Amino acid sequence: MGLSSFTSLLSALSLLQAPGTRLTYRIRVIEPASAAPRTLASGAVSGPLDSDMRLTLRTDTTEVEALFQVTPLGDTVTLAGEFFTRRQVGRSRRGLPLWEEDTYRRLVRLAWSDTARIYPFGNSTQGARASRALRVELILERQFAGGETRPAEVFELVDSTRDVRLEAIVRPRRARVILNLVRGDTVSAPRPMDMVPDEPSRIVQLVLRGRATTLVLSLTRPDAARSARERALALDADVVCLRVSRPDGTEPLGTICGRLNNVGRQLALPNGDTLTATFSWPGWR
Amino acid sequence: MADSTHEQWLVQIDAELDGELSLIERAALAKHLATCAHCAGARASQLEVRVALARSAGNPHAFVVIALGTGLAAGWVAHGQWGGPGGGGTLEESRGTIVVH
Repeated sequence: MGLSSFTSLLSALSLLQAPGTRLTYRIRVIEPASAAPRTLASGAVSGPLDSDMRLTLRTDTTEVEALFQVTPLGDTVTLAGEFFTRRQVGRSRRGLPLWEEDTYRRLVRLAWSDTARIYPFGNSTQGARASRALRVELILERQFAGGETRPAEVFELVDSTRDVRLEAIVRPRRARVILNLVRGDTVSAPRPMDMVPDEPSRIVQLVLRGRATTLVLSLTRPDAARSARERALALDADVVCLRVSRPDGTEPLGTICGRLNNVGRQLALPNGDTLTATFSWPGWR
Repeated sequence: MADSTHEQWLVQIDAELDGELSLIERAALAKHLATCAHCAGARASQLEVRVALARSAGNPHAFVVIALGTGLAAGWVAHGQWGGPGGGGTLEESRGTIVVH
């Protein structure tokens, strides 16, 4: 092997084994005050480069939910915010609250070291509205990590009277699925599986009281959300669906959909048994 | 642009006098009438025409005036109570923004 071939092989291997990039959204929620601005909450969300951040702020009369996504481009990054806002505009004659809802998108381009100021209630500084000009300071950071890692959240609410929430949104690349077959008061041994969404289906055999049940399983993403709010805020980001069918390829037996939250979900099978599937995040690699 | 806005308000005035506006829309109209002499005058003219028509049709004049006045007053009170639709500003002012520093 020549030197040039060896060098190109090394460079190819280094590209294949290139370290993953970890993205961090670092935020501070700041309330303007007459003396000095007050920090209401601070926190950070980090994860793989395709991680999103969902921010929720609620007051008595306004709710702002926003999903932030980044698209790196060289030394700059494009920050996109999908906003979903509900404002109370009054009360009906029966005393029920009336709300108006609004969905919109904001897009800015910034350098990695820049600070983005987000004014979730608008940034009007006139009159009484100045007091509402609460802002969120967001700094985006990237670090090189040894591989793709799990999302992480750190959040501190300084003023507990405020309703502020911060969540990391990551679409799972893999999911851990634990299967059980239930018949009456008897349960089969748990069958853990590491599945990848949209990969080819696989055949699984579960044995209960000496009787084997063969199923064909495939993991898919759920159908697109129906409401604009669910789509805008990616509320179903960590939902997966397990399609169950017979090995002979006839009609599907059913689909079990759920979040990766360790909750068992059941599907009744035609032979009287019940299939229980528990979805969770895969273990560390 | 301003003319087209006035046109829209005149449509709203017409709907208000027909009793077709919601409380929120009446509040917005009341807020606008407080600052726009042109539209306030147009509403007064409309009201006079309607009262004249009601009188010629045999309806009690006072009842029509009280009913229409009460509707606008309710809108105004509602506006004072919760700041009108969208918290008083335009929709764009109440929307979130991102500024880079």
